[in-house]
Amino acid sequence: MVWNSSIFQALFWSVATIAFYQMGKGLHVRLRQWWSTPMLIAPISLVCLAIVLHESYRDYIRQTHWLVALLGPATVAFAVPVWEQRALIRRHWAVLLAGAAAGSATAMGSVWVLSAAFGLSDSLRLSMMPRSISTPFAMTVSAQIGGIPDLTAIFVIVTGVLGATLGEALVQVLPLRSGLARGALFGMGAHGVGVARALGIGREEGSVAGLVMVLVGVANVLAAPVLAYLL
Amino acid sequence: MPLRKIAVTARRSLRSNRLLQIGAVLVFWLIGEGLARVTGWPIPGGIFGMVILLSLLASGAFSQASVRRGANWFVAEMLLFFIPAVLAVLDHHEFLGVVGLKVLAIIVSSTALVMGVTAVVVEFGFRVVCSAKEDSHGVE
Repeated sequence: MVWNSSIFQALFWSVATIAFYQMGKGLHVRLRQWWSTPMLIAPISLVCLAIVLHESYRDYIRQTHWLVALLGPATVAFAVPVWEQRALIRRHWAVLLAGAAAGSATAMGSVWVLSAAFGLSDSLRLSMMPRSISTPFAMTVSAQIGGIPDLTAIFVIVTGVLGATLGEALVQVLPLRSGLARGALFGMGAHGVGVARALGIGREEGSVAGLVMVLVGVANVLAAPVLAYLL
Repeated sequence: MPLRKIAVTARRSLRSNRLLQIGAVLVFWLIGEGLARVTGWPIPGGIFGMVILLSLLASGAFSQASVRRGANWFVAEMLLFFIPAVLAVLDHHEFLGVVGLKVLAIIVSSTALVMGVTAVVVEFGFRVVCSAKEDSHGVE
């Protein structure tokens, strides 16, 4: 059967993913609502399609894993906006580092306290703690401190999608005069998805967000053994 | 001589062609992945690639014009690369109930807190640095 051939499957799910993403992008340009982002529309449409066609996640991700792998070169690509903002970064690197440290501590600490308050299991709590770091780092940290990397990946994505939207609201409310603070807010709170959103606000915000995301990731991976020892 | 000619042509086409630049970014990524594997450090290959590209840009060995358009494409379409990972929820029906709501509540409140703290720290530091700069200018 043509339907069951693996090439057709890979092509079908890849094209469907890209098509829903493009549709979401087009819709967002027209509607400009927080719920019209491709990060909500595309996954929801794909989940519906997967349920209708009885596709499991394991099969789906096998066909579309190459798209996720492109996050690697996307990270490399951040060298360009970071390079463009080198003057700003050279001047304020200490401030950005302080923001990243304060943000990471808040992320881990607040999840620790809130999970206890809500009575969540230890494995859920440990899987949720690294969720403010971008995916590859977060999964490494999660494994080190005794969480479940797969679950962490989900929490990271949910944090990114909700955080990017939340960040847009916060930027309007908080009296932030510097693009530096706006960028750090997105890069620390909503990693990759937030960085993409920050780029929509401005080039300065976007590159600061990208830099903070990378800083936070590296710093947390380095800190994970210490954290594992403390937990 | 012909070798030099090839180099010049290669550089010129790299500057004008976005597809080639996308390829260049991919090459840096592959080198980064290789390094990550060889060293065995728990740092993603993309970060290695980024550091290599940054140092090449800083040393002037590689011009920004040769990667800018390709890099911008990757950055602009980055959201697409996250989407397949979201479908992991298909495997976790436990999040459809109360636990899911609790997790959602924790993620939203913790993320708001993280963003607030980070932004306030950076904004405060920014203002301190800026006023220190202004003061030193005032003395001069």
